[in-house]
Amino acid sequence: MSHHNENSIQHLYEGDQSKLYSGVLQHHSDVNSPESKSQVKKIWKVFWILLAITLVEVVLGMFFSHEMPKVIVAILFLALTLLKAGYIVAVFMHLGDEVKNFIVTVLIPLVLFVWFIIAFLADGGFWLHMNQSFR
Amino acid sequence: MSQATATTTTAPEPKLWGGGHSPFNVSYGKMMTWFFLLSDAFTFGALLIAYGTTRFFSAVWPDANQVFKSFPFLEGMDLPLLFVSLMTFILIMSSVTMVLAVHAGHYGDKKNVAKWLLWTIVGGICFLSCQAWEWTHLHHELGWWGSFTDANTPLSTFQGFFDIKRDGLALVSASGQRSTHDFFNYFFTITGFHGCHVLSGVIFNILILVNTVNGVYERRGHYEMVEKIGLYWHFVDLVWVFVFTCFYLL
Repeated sequence: MSHHNENSIQHLYEGDQSKLYSGVLQHHSDVNSPESKSQVKKIWKVFWILLAITLVEVVLGMFFSHEMPKVIVAILFLALTLLKAGYIVAVFMHLGDEVKNFIVTVLIPLVLFVWFIIAFLADGGFWLHMNQSFR
Repeated sequence: MSQATATTTTAPEPKLWGGGHSPFNVSYGKMMTWFFLLSDAFTFGALLIAYGTTRFFSAVWPDANQVFKSFPFLEGMDLPLLFVSLMTFILIMSSVTMVLAVHAGHYGDKKNVAKWLLWTIVGGICFLSCQAWEWTHLHHELGWWGSFTDANTPLSTFQGFFDIKRDGLALVSASGQRSTHDFFNYFFTITGFHGCHVLSGVIFNILILVNTVNGVYERRGHYEMVEKIGLYWHFVDLVWVFVFTCFYLL
């Protein structure tokens, strides 16, 4: 079972599969090898981290968010959400194992969201202000 | 013959970006999956930002701890956020089983790919069932697309969605009905769009499970298709992380 067969037509469509995980892994090796086991361990570690962050969020949302200033609550929830998103993208989606140029190519367009969010929320807030001030 | 050899040795270094290479060291299919997910992120982003804008121009907004406080078979009890926490747990768990399927695929371990894909499908179906229950429950509380449009709607039908102590009864009775209407429109649109993604993800997972069991990827020599569907599945989990924050926490 060789999957680096250069004559295979599939090779043209799906590229060189020998470099999965950026070549960190020889994926011919045994699934019970130490590398394999350490990766499975990492996956479960990230699961526990995600679960812990979610629990913190839920406890915060249930008991404390109403007694705290709205801005601080928003910043806290946003930071925790981005942390979770980072773990999912970097570890579960293996973006952290890709070439740096590819990571940058995927992430740069998302910077547009910074402007989208600021512009649209400010517009919403201004609309409320106008609506309440000049009725 | 010697001429041909001379040509190859003196030929200039081929350019990295001149074609025929993979400068990102990633296959075409995987790269295009990423770009598709990027476009999908903007679609979800647009929906969530529209929701945020509407929320910012509303004088009051339904309180998540009041709207989402029910749990199946425990009707009448005040359990804010508990059910949606369960849904979040299910989806994170199914993301773990998916990444374990991808991992098994890297080692060509057909049996484990099939096993973890099956668990992922189970997780996806559990999540969809939870969502179906939540939608039905909210529909019983009169929430739906286009609900709460009648200006004569009695205050009693929607004041339960608000934190009256914080917002004050006067403000809720003045602007509450309109924001309840907006809230449910966005809630059903965005969680519905996300649910469609989960549903199609489950269908994709069933298709690749069938292919795995039939040995299609074993004959092909690699399990990249599992990896690509895995990217989609993790993205759906990723979107839920943001939906969870926007609708249930903030």
